[in-house]
Amino acid sequence: MNAWIYGVGTTKFGRQTERLPAELGWEAVEEALADAQVDADQIDAAYVGTVFGTLGMAQRALAGVGLSGIPVVTVENACASGTTALHEAAHAIAAGRYEHVLALGVEHLTSRYAGPIDSDPTDIDQSTGLLFPGLYAMSASRYLHDHDATVEDLADVAVKNTRHGSLNPRAQRQIARTREEVLASPMIAEPLTLYQCTGLSDAAAAAVLGPRRRSSRDVGIRGIEIGSGRPWDQDSTGTWGSGLVRDVTERAYATAGIEPGDADVLEVHDAFTIGEIATLEAMRITGDGGAPADLAAGRFTIGGDTPVNPSGGLIARGHPLGATGLAQTAELVWQLRGDAGPRQTEGARIAVLETMGGGVGGLDGNACVVAVLEAG
Amino acid sequence: MTTVETRRSVDPRPRIEGSVLVGARCTACGHAHSIRFRRCTKCGGSELEEARYGPEGTVWATTTLHVASGGREAPYTLAYVDLDDGPRLLAHVEDGPALALRVAERVRLAGLTGHGDPQVEVTR
Repeated sequence: MNAWIYGVGTTKFGRQTERLPAELGWEAVEEALADAQVDADQIDAAYVGTVFGTLGMAQRALAGVGLSGIPVVTVENACASGTTALHEAAHAIAAGRYEHVLALGVEHLTSRYAGPIDSDPTDIDQSTGLLFPGLYAMSASRYLHDHDATVEDLADVAVKNTRHGSLNPRAQRQIARTREEVLASPMIAEPLTLYQCTGLSDAAAAAVLGPRRRSSRDVGIRGIEIGSGRPWDQDSTGTWGSGLVRDVTERAYATAGIEPGDADVLEVHDAFTIGEIATLEAMRITGDGGAPADLAAGRFTIGGDTPVNPSGGLIARGHPLGATGLAQTAELVWQLRGDAGPRQTEGARIAVLETMGGGVGGLDGNACVVAVLEAG
Repeated sequence: MTTVETRRSVDPRPRIEGSVLVGARCTACGHAHSIRFRRCTKCGGSELEEARYGPEGTVWATTTLHVASGGREAPYTLAYVDLDDGPRLLAHVEDGPALALRVAERVRLAGLTGHGDPQVEVTR
């Protein structure tokens, strides 16, 4: 038995310093319940993803909308925390463990950080001065060395995703940027400039799941897989994280019984521009080294053959770590229902989402989740 | 007044002695490690012996950070360096921002930075 997504909800994305983390959760859960046409007292359990959530953030975010007394499981899986919650919720439904399950992601970064997320003093690489932009910039340097690609190719990912974000009223960055503006923005980690990096974001996103019912609005989870990274060391020939993304994606394709060419629209992990390029290649959406040419040809733009990150992605919609996976989920549910307005992929039937989290030195990622969704 | 110490940690960085990394090697499969784990991450073997690597190596990837972490001063250049017959090591590059370091360049372990980070120098 597969799990189905009955309804989704999100807050807007961005710096929301005037709001409590719990309030963000309340807003996303209420929208998801109303969208699902499920009452709060029908929810049997909740899985909540958050990375820097304070003690009890999940319970605070749930109790204020009448969800108390039920099993609540909080998960931390770096940037894949929200999709890990979705994965656990989906398997709980598929196993018949519960009738209705809520998956919630909530993150309030501005109450923790003023700039880039600080390094963990207990990690071998982070304690040496590596920040997340630096980790991805390392991959960019290797990619540009291994392939016939340029810094302009990297910038064009941000051009596309900010253009998409300009069509999304919930996005953090709603201004479409030109290649010149992207390249002229302040340097963060060479070759990645500010507009090629996601910003600090506060937000919540939620989904209500259950078994198949009579509703053409529901979206089926045809396959969802999770994994953690193997060692990434001197024997690793791929850029950081690409092996993990490839392995989890292949399992998700196999479970869902699809080929990469079957994906009509995707939301993937573009915390930094190089991330989208390396991920699309690892997922076999394009060939090895083929992403820049496909991007330049407009294949991944809304209206193109295979739109990628129509929401604006992490770069433009925003990246509230633990909420990101469920924000991706919400966008793809709207796409598969035909409700995505100016961002709509016409006739989308199969959607694929990928979230990837890292931060452990010497490992090819902390977690990756890939899901294949299908219109009802 | 009592202050609560929240950021105290044993230093997890690899051990550098002069121009040598003191790491470990798996006695079963020979895999090189920058730190001495309990088991080999490659083959699962339980016998890791101390091994010394360096000083020469090759840049696998590099970046210059214009935002700083942990009280360092930006900009600074980092590189993942594959030490010859040794492990991949994250190191700072001496005078890196001015060098325009490239992937595949040869470097040499050169002790620690003032911040206690492994450091390499470019051997052009």
